[in-house]
Amino acid sequence: MSALTIQRGTRAELGIGDTFAMAGRNVRRILRAPDQVVFTLVSPILFTLLFRFVFGGAIRGLGSINYVNYLIPGIAVQTAIFTSSNSGFALADDRGNGFLDRLRSLPMARSAVLIGRVLTDTISNATGLVIIVIVGLAVGFRPHSVPGLVVGFAVLLAFVLATSFLFALVGLYASSSQAVNAATFPVIFPLTFASSAFVPTSTMPSWLRAFANHQPVTTVINAVRDLTLGNVTAAQRHQLFAGQSTSALVIQSLLWTVGIGLVFGYLALRRYNSTNL
Amino acid sequence: MEQAGGIQAEGSGAATGTRPDAAVVVDSLVKTFKGDVRALDGVSFEIPTGTVLGLLGPNGAGKTTAVHVLTTLLRPDSGRASVAGIDVLANPGEARKHMGLAGQFAAVDEGLTGMENLVLVGRLNHLPRAERRRRAVELLEQFDLADSGNRLLKTYSGGMRRRLDLAAALVARPPVLFLDEPTTGLDPRSRIDLWAVIEGLVADGTTLLLTTQYLEEADRLANTICVIDHGRVIAEGTADELKSRLGGTTVEVVLPDIETAARARSALEGVGDGDPVVDGLTVRLATTTGLATTSELVRRLEGAGLDVSSLQLRQPSLDEVFLSLTGQEPGVGNEQENGSAAYDRDRAGRGAP
Repeated sequence: MSALTIQRGTRAELGIGDTFAMAGRNVRRILRAPDQVVFTLVSPILFTLLFRFVFGGAIRGLGSINYVNYLIPGIAVQTAIFTSSNSGFALADDRGNGFLDRLRSLPMARSAVLIGRVLTDTISNATGLVIIVIVGLAVGFRPHSVPGLVVGFAVLLAFVLATSFLFALVGLYASSSQAVNAATFPVIFPLTFASSAFVPTSTMPSWLRAFANHQPVTTVINAVRDLTLGNVTAAQRHQLFAGQSTSALVIQSLLWTVGIGLVFGYLALRRYNSTNL
Repeated sequence: MEQAGGIQAEGSGAATGTRPDAAVVVDSLVKTFKGDVRALDGVSFEIPTGTVLGLLGPNGAGKTTAVHVLTTLLRPDSGRASVAGIDVLANPGEARKHMGLAGQFAAVDEGLTGMENLVLVGRLNHLPRAERRRRAVELLEQFDLADSGNRLLKTYSGGMRRRLDLAAALVARPPVLFLDEPTTGLDPRSRIDLWAVIEGLVADGTTLLLTTQYLEEADRLANTICVIDHGRVIAEGTADELKSRLGGTTVEVVLPDIETAARARSALEGVGDGDPVVDGLTVRLATTTGLATTSELVRRLEGAGLDVSSLQLRQPSLDEVFLSLTGQEPGVGNEQENGSAAYDRDRAGRGAP
C-alpha cells in the first residue's frame, strides 16, 4: 500500500475547500431533483397571482402606490424565508441516516457542513428571486431602479442566510424532517403573515400592528420595499414605514441579520460539535 | 541491588501495562447517558497493530458507544482512549486522520452516485484532485462496484450500499478501521462477500475493531474476542480460549434405542468429567482429555456389548460460550431478565444444543 499524498494548506484554506465541497454536494442533489425545485416555486407564483388579481383590488391604505409594486417584495421575503428552512430539513435527513456521523469522523473542518449548507440555501434563494422578479414583471411589477432592486435583494439574501442557521439548529435537534416541518411552520407562518408582506400594518388591529411593526420580517420587507419602490414621498414613508428613512430600515435589517446569524450560527455549530448529536 | 531491581520492575509493570505496539488503547471508559443508563462502565481493551479485535455483545451492551468514543463522535465521562498513538480526547482532529469508520447504517449519500460519494470523501480527506479520482476508481474496482459507479445510490441493493460504505471508510487508507456491525441486516451471500473483503484488508496490515452480534463473524474474522455486556468487559481471549472455558470437548454417543441408551449411561459411569447426561438417544460426556476419554468409552461400550449408531467429539460453539457468559442469545436485547438468563446459563453449562 502506497501512502497517499495529502493536500497542504492552512486550516482556513482547507476549511474553505471543505465548505465548497459540501455546498457542491448539496447543489448537485438539488439539480438532480428539478421537480422539487419547480414544486417549491409553485406556491409563491400562486400567491403572486392570488394577491395581484384576487385580493389586490380590495387592499387599502396604499395611497398612490400600485399594489403589485407593494406585493412583490413581500412575496420575495416570504419565499426566501421558507427556502432558508431547507437547511433544517436537509440536516435532519443527513443526521437521521448516519451521514453526519461519517462527516464528523472525517478530518474535515467541522464548520464546513453547516456553512456549506446555509450557502446552498443562499444559492437557491438567489435563483428563486430571479424567477420571482420575472413572474412579477409579467404581472406588472416595475422596480424603480436596478441598483435599488439589487441592493434590496442583497439585504434580503443576507437576512435569510442568518435565518438558515436558525433552521439548521432546529434540524440538528429534530428527530426527522417531518418534525422540522412541524416545528418551523408555526413560526414561519405568523412571522410572514403578521407582517407588512401583503397588507399595510396600518390596517391591522392595534395589538397585531404592534407585533407586526416590531418584528424582523417586517423590517426586512420594508427595507426591500423602500429600495425597490424608490421615490417614496414623506407621506407614504409615514404611512408604510412609520416614517423611517431608507438607511434606518437597512441598518435595522442588517442588525437583525448579524444578531440572528451570530446567535444561531454559534448555537448550531455548538450543537453540531456536541458529542450527543 | 537485585532486590531493588525486582521491586522496580514490579512497580512499573503495574503502572503501565500498555503494549507499545497497540494501535488502539481503551482505558477505563465510563459513559452515562440521560436516565442513568451506564452505557460504558469501565471498559478497557487494547488492539495490537495489524490485528482484529471482535467486540461482541448483545444489543445495548455498549459496543457502539465504545466505537463512538474512539471515533471522536462521543466524549466519555471518564477514561482514556487513543488511536494510532494519538489521544482521541485531547487531539480529536489529528486522530481523525488515522481512522476510518463504517457504521450500522450505510452512511453514504443516496442522492449521489457511488463515484461521487467516494470522490467527496476523498476531497474531505484533502486528497489532491487526481488522487481522489484514482482512489475512487480503485475502490469501486476492489469492491466489485465498477459497473455501478455512475449510478445513483438509490438504485443500489443493501449489500452494494454496505460495500460502498466500507469503501468510503477506506478512501484515505486509514491504518485503523472501525466497523460497527458491518453485516447486520445483510443476506447471507452479501455477508460472506463482505467477510472476504474484510479479510483482504486485514491481510494488508489494517488494524480492525469489529463490533458484531454474530459469533460466526467474530469467530471467522477476529484474532481476539472481547465480550462486553452492560458496559463491562466480561471475557477476553481468542475464540479457542473462550471455548475452552466451557470445559473443552464433549463426547456424544447416539444409541439405537432408549433402552440401550439407559444401559450405556450406567456403563459409562465415571468416564469423563462428571456424570454422563442422557438426552433422548444421545449420551453426552464432558471432558478435557478428549482422546483418552473416547478410548475408555469405546472399551466400556464394547465390554457391555452395546451397539452404537454414531460417536463424535464436539467443541462447544461460540454461541454456547456467549450464552454462558451473558445469559443471553446474541442479538437479544436486555429485556430478557434473570429468570430466563439463569435457565440459559444452565442449559449452556450442560453443553446442550
